[in-house]
Amino acid sequence: MSASIQRRPGERLRDNPLVGRALGCLALSFVLALMIGKQEGTQQDFGLAFREAILGPRIVWFLLIGVLVFLLLTFGPRVQPYVHRPGIRPLAIGGLTVVVAFSLLKWTDSTVVSDGKFSTLSEAASKTGQLAPLARTFFTPPLPWVLFVVAFAVAAAAIVLRKAALSWVGVALSVLVGLWAWYSHSLVVSLLGTPDHSTGALVALLGFLAIAAACAATALSAEESANTRGFVNRIFAWRPGMPLVAVALVLGVMAFAIATWFSPSNQNATLVDTASLFSSTGLAPLAKAYLSWLGYLLFVLSLALAAFAAYRRDPRLAWGAAVLGLVSLVLNLVALYSISALGAKSAFDGANGPWDNLGTGGWLASAAFLLLAGAGYVVATAGRERGTIARTQSDVLAGIGKIPGMSKALILLVVAGALFYPPMATPFWQKVLVSEIGIYVLLAIGLNVVVGWAGLLDLGFIAFYAIGSYTTAYFVGALPIQPPEWMRLSPLLCIPIAIVVCLIAGVSLGYPTLRLRGDYLAIVTLGFGEIIRIVAVNNPGNFTNGPKGAFGIPTPAIHLGPIHIDWGQSSLQYWYLLLVITGLVILAFNRLEQSRLGRAWAAIREDEIAAQATGVNTRNVKLLAFAIGASTSGVAGVFFASQIGYINPDNFVLNNSILVVAYVVFGGMGSLPGAMAGAAVLTWLPEFLKDQVPAEDRQMWIGAVILLMMIFRPAGLVPARRRTAELHGFDDASSAETSAVPAGEGMGGTK
Amino acid sequence: MTDFMNYLVLGLTRGSMYALIALGYTLVYGVLQLINFAHSEVFMSGAFGSYLVIGMFVHDGQHLAWWQVSLVMILGLLSGALVGAGVAWALERVAYRPLRQRGAPKLAFLISAIGMSFFLSQLAGKLFNRLSQNQFPSYFDQNKAVLHILGAAVSRIQLIVIVTALLMMFSLDRLVSGTKLGRSIRGVAEDAPTAALMGIDIDKTISRTFIIGGALGGAAGFLFGTTFVFSNIMGFIPGVKAFAAAVLGGIGNIRGAMIGGLLLGVVENIVPTAPWDGSGGWIGLQWTDVVAFVVLILVLVFRPTGILGERLGRAA
Repeated sequence: MSASIQRRPGERLRDNPLVGRALGCLALSFVLALMIGKQEGTQQDFGLAFREAILGPRIVWFLLIGVLVFLLLTFGPRVQPYVHRPGIRPLAIGGLTVVVAFSLLKWTDSTVVSDGKFSTLSEAASKTGQLAPLARTFFTPPLPWVLFVVAFAVAAAAIVLRKAALSWVGVALSVLVGLWAWYSHSLVVSLLGTPDHSTGALVALLGFLAIAAACAATALSAEESANTRGFVNRIFAWRPGMPLVAVALVLGVMAFAIATWFSPSNQNATLVDTASLFSSTGLAPLAKAYLSWLGYLLFVLSLALAAFAAYRRDPRLAWGAAVLGLVSLVLNLVALYSISALGAKSAFDGANGPWDNLGTGGWLASAAFLLLAGAGYVVATAGRERGTIARTQSDVLAGIGKIPGMSKALILLVVAGALFYPPMATPFWQKVLVSEIGIYVLLAIGLNVVVGWAGLLDLGFIAFYAIGSYTTAYFVGALPIQPPEWMRLSPLLCIPIAIVVCLIAGVSLGYPTLRLRGDYLAIVTLGFGEIIRIVAVNNPGNFTNGPKGAFGIPTPAIHLGPIHIDWGQSSLQYWYLLLVITGLVILAFNRLEQSRLGRAWAAIREDEIAAQATGVNTRNVKLLAFAIGASTSGVAGVFFASQIGYINPDNFVLNNSILVVAYVVFGGMGSLPGAMAGAAVLTWLPEFLKDQVPAEDRQMWIGAVILLMMIFRPAGLVPARRRTAELHGFDDASSAETSAVPAGEGMGGTK
Repeated sequence: MTDFMNYLVLGLTRGSMYALIALGYTLVYGVLQLINFAHSEVFMSGAFGSYLVIGMFVHDGQHLAWWQVSLVMILGLLSGALVGAGVAWALERVAYRPLRQRGAPKLAFLISAIGMSFFLSQLAGKLFNRLSQNQFPSYFDQNKAVLHILGAAVSRIQLIVIVTALLMMFSLDRLVSGTKLGRSIRGVAEDAPTAALMGIDIDKTISRTFIIGGALGGAAGFLFGTTFVFSNIMGFIPGVKAFAAAVLGGIGNIRGAMIGGLLLGVVENIVPTAPWDGSGGWIGLQWTDVVAFVVLILVLVFRPTGILGERLGRAA
């Protein structure tokens, strides 16, 4: 238990914390050596990957990494006073960002360059004669890394030595290198001529800018104790509109200056080029004006208005900015619609019709306008009070201690991303967004009610998802047993039915079993999930069509008077449908946590007996949580069935149930944004890892990520406010010894 | 009758493996009140570890004398137990102790164990080629009947499995009830802060509890791999079943886990095949898992803390 580094007389070697740390680091590097590398053999060379991993010389390198980590951990704290300077943190973040951009991210989508990563691209680009010499020089293999290392080293030296002149050199150097990278990348893109969705160059630019910002902070900060965080806080904290304006500025400049607005086959037309493309066509005058001057004007005007309003915190100006932003957003969308619709008619090669062939520019501009309008709204509603600091637990629960308007600003950022990022993404990512990320976010929201709020561990959540899907399949007539003709429904009309069916299923599972305590409930729900799946496989009464499942489930459609919407194959349409569903669910659940019901859930979660004693009808309240969670899952099931078109029992395996629980806890149990963030991150990760590690190893890396998250941040990505305050308050955690094991009933021997 | 006895023996064989694994769940639950979701991977690693060791000594198709066979068996059990214990120890150090020291919420332990479970099973898959049908070398005729009880033929391997499992369960029972280590385990299980005041090192006791459970699970992995096939995902289904068995008997209760395991194994083999006339039964073997879970749910509905109940527990 002793944490001292010095060895005391009489202490055994193995009790020395240094020995343990060294062994731990070596073990870590050994496991790392097992994890990284190629694999897969056959029956004959059983364990080939194992032998290659530990017998070759590479194991030495990995062990050296372990030694390095050990030295860092041991001697790192002693160096800390020297590196504890303003700017070190942004420097580290910037450096890491650049490394990620250079090593992991894609720099082009074009199929000409095999995996699209930086190393492959630079290999190819440095030999391409058609490329301008400036870009070719940049891509000459060791040069980009050398440039990065030099810029980083200069910045680090400037920050550690605190030399203002050196800092400005660092600023200039990293801005130059960043812009050079960006410029070379845009030359490559225009040479390849295909629409580009890659993020590498942008991320690299951001990384270099972060390094530059770190240097600038050093040069400007007068005293040693000043830190970047304080600096940022002074500017942004009591002007909640400001960060939004800053983001909108970046997005807008990218949109109006460099991004592609219209890209029929093999051309990337920026706003200026688009205007000249359409100058001789019969484009509606409004859109024409927008392309040539109105767009720029609107952007500058609304940016100036929003920035001024945010700076002065003037509510009337802010409302003006909000209205102007929204009007500009609408005009922007009208212009986008006109050019894409007319583009197809005027027979540009490869132009497909409304809302197609649009580059990133229009959507970036939309996001910028939305954020500017949002900045106005945030400023107008935040009032003139300044942020306060929470000192007690009740302060936290009362919402004191957050900067007014900051959470609104964050929500706006997420909304802008959700609305305008998907159209910019590649079809692959659009599909992932809908059929992985979106659906599991919805499921996590539902399970958060059961696990996070009511504290009931449900390991069979996917069962309700399955029930929702099979209900849909039945009512649209995709199963062997057909419903009567008058009961055939369109998929969207199945939503209320699925909700009712899942409510009934949830209550009928919950009613007999909810008196069980935590872990017993877990195994019962797990069993229920497996029973539902096996029933689907075994096909009693020929209802579920066995392992083949249901296929030919029609896509959703709305025919209501003059409105005809048919969701076809495009993932993007489903994304917006899902956004509407999820938005409605969030709106409904948002108020739930603070309501009487939400407080009752918190009470039974913390102490069921006490809750009962204070008059909470525990059984009904628990049943309600179960039913609400189940019906959310059912809605997700309807959406899934009609989007994918075919379902079979393999979609509903136990592993998925466990994963949803993992998403909720990973994100932060009991916090709605947390559950969503957890699901989004953990469903995005496998798709991201696909380009980094062998496809079969993805689950291993995800397991490791979950494990690390729980070790270093057990409360999750976005910890729930109420929970943090209730469980820990602001005191230090009580001694590890007593909190180690909850006292209570346990295993018995024979006495 | 013959069919019934055959299914009974089959159920006892599976059940005794479930019981060995269930003991790991129940021991950990006893001291920590937490479900160790990664225990199924401890079981899996026992199979791989013992395969690697045994593979050094015998080859496929060899015919060994009975004393050689028993030596190899003991070697397999020991190596499986050793690897299982090692993995369980590392598991506790990595996925449980840091969280305990931070006072993490209860579900965080569950999720870290799930993360560990994904990690271990996929790592084993990566290192050992992700084959789904690995088999131990065959060095004796496993399926030769050695015993006939009421018409049921008990094969060699079934006898070995049942007898070893019973022996191990008996020695665990003695260990927990009779030794100093057992006493400290029971102390921690009953009231950890008080046990700490009595001079018991809680961390060490928890670590040793994991080691004991891991050794049993690893040995079970060897037995399972010898009887059937083994792979990197073999742990999942027996793990779930053993967890169910532990809950069935009353989680945290050692004898409960033994009874629960045997009972679950027998029930899931006998009930779907009734009336045992060789026709496939009224229910049918494809409903095995459903039968197991329905029995579990029914028992829990009527006896919410399992068959034997949680020992030393308050009324729940």
